[in-house]
Amino acid sequence: MRRPKLRFIIVLSGLMILALLFMTCQTLKENIGILSGGKVSTSDVEAVEKTTEAVRKSFAEITDEEEYYIGRAVSAMILSQYPVYKSDAVTKYINRVGYAVVIHSDRPETYAGYHFLILDTEEVNALAAPGGFIFITKGLLKRCQDEEMLSSILAHEVGHVSAKHGLQSIKKSRLIDAFRIIGSEATKRYAPEKLAQLTDIFEDTLGDIAEKLIESGYDRKYEYEADKLSVKTSVRTGYDANGLLDFLGTMVDDTSTGSEKGWFKTHPTAKDRIGRVQKEISAVSSMPAKNDARTNRFQSAMKALK
Amino acid sequence: MSKTSRFKLLLIGVAVVCVALLLAETLIIKVQTTYVRKEPKFYSSPVATLNAGESVTQISSQAGWFKVRTSKGVEGWIHSQAVATGKLKVAAMDKSLKTSATANEVALAGKGFNRQVEAEYKSRNKDINFGEVERMLRIKVTPEELRRFLMDGKLAEFGGAR
Repeated sequence: MRRPKLRFIIVLSGLMILALLFMTCQTLKENIGILSGGKVSTSDVEAVEKTTEAVRKSFAEITDEEEYYIGRAVSAMILSQYPVYKSDAVTKYINRVGYAVVIHSDRPETYAGYHFLILDTEEVNALAAPGGFIFITKGLLKRCQDEEMLSSILAHEVGHVSAKHGLQSIKKSRLIDAFRIIGSEATKRYAPEKLAQLTDIFEDTLGDIAEKLIESGYDRKYEYEADKLSVKTSVRTGYDANGLLDFLGTMVDDTSTGSEKGWFKTHPTAKDRIGRVQKEISAVSSMPAKNDARTNRFQSAMKALK
Repeated sequence: MSKTSRFKLLLIGVAVVCVALLLAETLIIKVQTTYVRKEPKFYSSPVATLNAGESVTQISSQAGWFKVRTSKGVEGWIHSQAVATGKLKVAAMDKSLKTSATANEVALAGKGFNRQVEAEYKSRNKDINFGEVERMLRIKVTPEELRRFLMDGKLAEFGGAR
């Protein structure tokens, strides 16, 4: 009597496993079909679209690719206002320092990677557009005395990108409108009317970010957060995070020409930031030391700066 | 060997295959382009280049990196932020799942603020400088250049990283 029962259980569980195996293969196949952009049935697309529309609610759901297109346009606006400082040697050096920091940041990968560019102006400023387009002015570079100071500023800007501060300055109502239009269309190409609506929202979105980035500055809490991230990333990279304090020190009570523009205008006062950065630094148990090899290469790279 | 135990063995075999299939995760590249690297480090030598939408099979994972096999059979490491996990349908259909964002990332590829919207924006704003943006995007730091820079400056694993 026991054997047939046992056989029944074995056969039944065997069938169940086979069914599971079949379902798994089917799901995998369908997933891959959708994900790899293969031919997908209309019902699949509709299901995904509906869910997508329901799920996308905030800046956090902007895809890396959309962020890239926003960042490109914000950068194009910045580059329409400032000329580029053209020196391959200095630009290369800035990008190497920048990348050393990027790979130790909380967000080393973005859609098209990070790129650093020098703006040809004496104004002291550094800006980060969404997705990893980072700008530093010649005026700011001239204030840096070593690689630690420079890396701390680049790390602050990378922090704005990794914490998506630019995207957070987009008005929520705009995002809701954009997500509604995007969610209602199953194709990647938009009909003229939808395209016009989406482009209107795109322009307003750029306006929201540019206003914060260039005119009024981010919310103070974002600046403090970027400073905090700068200290954290610098230490991970092997830089002495005091570079940020050294730099902020050059900004205290500055009354030189242009001290009402750029970083002075869009950031909390240096004194205010120094206190908070000191607290962050004192919490670091083992701070990397400055190094002559780095300071030497910084000085030789900056020789070309005019 | 009796018939029953042979069948049991067969069942175990099927179960093993099943578990292996469930564990083999398909990862989809969500960034424009990324390297498959020899080691899980950004300055490690590239062994393959992957573009957005391509899929790879996950072999294992380690602190922010996936060991993967490409469709051409090349094995190496990619950073977790370069990929979306392949559980699109399961994740995206379940609205309560917070993790659906990365799955949507793939479903939404090429949508929303895209090339077409940028072209329309450009046609409205002809004075905006996209030429310099294209030049900026061409600035690259190669893994080898990065390795040398870190090493010479005694940074990261080559010196004082904490």
